[in-house]
Amino acid sequence: MIKKDLSIEFLGVHFENPFCLSSSPVGNCYDMCKKAYEVGWGGVVFKTIGPKSYVIDEVSPRFDKLNKENTPFVGFKNMEQIAEHSLEENLRDLRRLKKEFPNKVLIASIMGNDEQTWEDLARMVDEAGADMIELNFSCPQMTSHAMGSDVGTNPELCKKYCQAVKRGSKLPMMAKMTPNITDMVPCAVACLEGGADGIAAINTIKSICNIDLDKKIGLPIVDGKSAISGYSGKAVKPVALRFIQQMRQDPRLKDLQVSGIGGIETWEDAAEFILVGASTLQVTTGIMQYGYRIVEDMKNGLMHYMEEQGVDHLSELVGLANKNIIPAENLNRDYIVRPDIDLNKCVKCGRCYISCYDGGHQAIEWDAEKREPSCNTDKCVGCLLCGHVCPVGAIKPGKISIKPGRKTKAEDVRL
Amino acid sequence: MDSKYLKSLEPGFDPLTVCEEASRCLLCLDAPCSKACPAGTNPDKFIRSVRFRNFKGAAEIVRENNALGAICARVCPTEKYCQKGCSRSGIDRPIDIGRIQRYITDYEEAVKMEILKAPKDNGKSVGIVGSGPAALQAAVSLRLLGYKVEVYEKENVLGGMLRLIPEYRLPDRVVDHEIKRIEDLGVKFHKGVFVGKDKSLDDLKKAHDAVLLAPGYSYGKMLQLFEGHKNVVLAVDFLREVKAKKGGVKVPNNVLVVGGGDVAMDVNATMKLLGVEHVTDVVYEQFVEFKASKKELEGAQRLGVTIIDGYVPVSFDGKKAKFAHRVIKSELEIEADLVVLAVGQYPDVSGLGVELVKGEVNEGADYHTKDPKVFVCGDIAHSRFDKTVVGGVRTGKEVALYIDASLGGK
Repeated sequence: MIKKDLSIEFLGVHFENPFCLSSSPVGNCYDMCKKAYEVGWGGVVFKTIGPKSYVIDEVSPRFDKLNKENTPFVGFKNMEQIAEHSLEENLRDLRRLKKEFPNKVLIASIMGNDEQTWEDLARMVDEAGADMIELNFSCPQMTSHAMGSDVGTNPELCKKYCQAVKRGSKLPMMAKMTPNITDMVPCAVACLEGGADGIAAINTIKSICNIDLDKKIGLPIVDGKSAISGYSGKAVKPVALRFIQQMRQDPRLKDLQVSGIGGIETWEDAAEFILVGASTLQVTTGIMQYGYRIVEDMKNGLMHYMEEQGVDHLSELVGLANKNIIPAENLNRDYIVRPDIDLNKCVKCGRCYISCYDGGHQAIEWDAEKREPSCNTDKCVGCLLCGHVCPVGAIKPGKISIKPGRKTKAEDVRL
Repeated sequence: MDSKYLKSLEPGFDPLTVCEEASRCLLCLDAPCSKACPAGTNPDKFIRSVRFRNFKGAAEIVRENNALGAICARVCPTEKYCQKGCSRSGIDRPIDIGRIQRYITDYEEAVKMEILKAPKDNGKSVGIVGSGPAALQAAVSLRLLGYKVEVYEKENVLGGMLRLIPEYRLPDRVVDHEIKRIEDLGVKFHKGVFVGKDKSLDDLKKAHDAVLLAPGYSYGKMLQLFEGHKNVVLAVDFLREVKAKKGGVKVPNNVLVVGGGDVAMDVNATMKLLGVEHVTDVVYEQFVEFKASKKELEGAQRLGVTIIDGYVPVSFDGKKAKFAHRVIKSELEIEADLVVLAVGQYPDVSGLGVELVKGEVNEGADYHTKDPKVFVCGDIAHSRFDKTVVGGVRTGKEVALYIDASLGGK
């Protein structure tokens, strides 16, 4: 079995590996976090601890999932709020976890409802032994508008609460941001101004997953009604990567330290978040579907990836893709790359023809006699939709043509 | 030469189809597949690795558990072991674990992974007699414990029974590659050395701290009725020759096979793939008590072999064979140009200082013999598993631990 050092520093804290439970149902008590540590997770963000005055009262049932064809859990909808255990129980669990797992990272997620409660919670989790604090500015299903994602869209509140937490504790702290916003940067900037050391992104996206067609109610049904709540899982990965990229590119957030969250379940997902600038990674939905064990293949796969990339420290990979993701207006528009159809691989299903006709530029032609596709280069605009729909990967980018009057040389184009 | 014999009967998975198959896996809690593997491999883990796109991790799991992972992937009767209890059967059909393992080991070879690494020599050495599956696995397990290992093979080709599993099931290049991997680990092979004749057991005992006997059931049994007739061959000799000649043998158009084990099924299918028109297999057992792997039985039937169950041979005149049913009153008369006997095998242990009872050494507990320096594994060792490749791998892994315990480890 390959052995590579997966450790990384994040906000001054040493993680034996970047994989953490995110603050959610998967890190809800001592037993769960203990098992996660034992299975190999590097850190735990304990389920968000709220003020004593705020009583958690959950609905039942509280989840729903989006399927596509035979793939369940494309996305996952969750209505749980923050930790339902008492403040005392949560603090006791934090203490016990830190005592029994001193080398693992313990992050306390907190959520106050005014400056005083933010400050008090920070002090209490600090005293309980947390290594780091995460400020939950982003839960989209809180039953109070003074809490959750309504805070995370308001830069002034973000800053004020960060300052309050800083008064309560000197621990490193990160603010967990909501994607239910057009631009995350102003809020992230406000958090750093208020004293946050880094950003965790993203929390869940407000959603309605499915509607029961007979009852005309969204799912899950709670006594004949439903509500909008947070969406997560593989489907949100693209949204998460985009927000992290945008923050890391903004000059006001240069070298921003990020804990990446959003649909991570394979080592490839993890590597993608690292390449857009995440130093640590947080997971919930993958665990809810498959269990803590998914960390085994994420760790092992990431080690093999490091080996292939020839790096000894994970930090060498952080943010390597940032500079290669640029504004669309700056992309080279001088050329067209047309599909190369490998007829030896082609199983003659005609899906490329259908998609090109109905969703492209009618460039794929179909020889009905031979049942074989070909590309009419006069019509082809090089969108390569055909390659995406091909079920056997028989269509790859092929010949590059330069548009008339353009300066780019075909041999210089990097595909 | 008929190329059908040389071509894989069952296509392998590609990157797309292996992911589809792995996605069918229910990733169950107490995976029955992993409890059932004689080699101790845990398919639930390597399928999960494939499912989560960690192909290299999957290859590590297979290889670290089984030095013959690529071979077992092709020849293991998975329906008896890992696939037997598969929870997916509760929905439709079990996961095709063998074929997933085959994809993984092909991938391992394609990207040139070197997973097993020998530690520093511990200063002790073991000599192994035979180079079949059990011997090869024992060699690797011992090497990984730091022992110097030398293997003595009586034939000029390594692999023992692996060299008679037909090419369409187990290509020679796969066996060659597995053996090369073992050589690269530092195991030394001596070909054409018949221990008991060319070299004595005492020679080996002098040269090594322990000797492991793994001669295997390499000789085919003859039935008295058929003895002395020119057109009668033994299955193991036939299969070995066909494989060595890459299918380039002449066979008549009407062949009678006697026997109902995996070796008989290999003969059946081989005959068909060589182009023999009429292949009739008469089997002592009735279908309900059949010994052969179901997969191989069905494979032979699919190829058009006529299989008749429940009959015993009663006479043979060089051309015509007569059979009688074991239970009902029924007789059978078959005329054939060639008769292939696949009615069992036996080992040759002469000069090896051990006595066999029912084909097994039963002189000490488990893998021991009367001689504290001499151990046994493979076919001649008693094991609760069948005498298959994977059964051999099991004994090879276990005997290495016994030898290590007896030699005091490092």
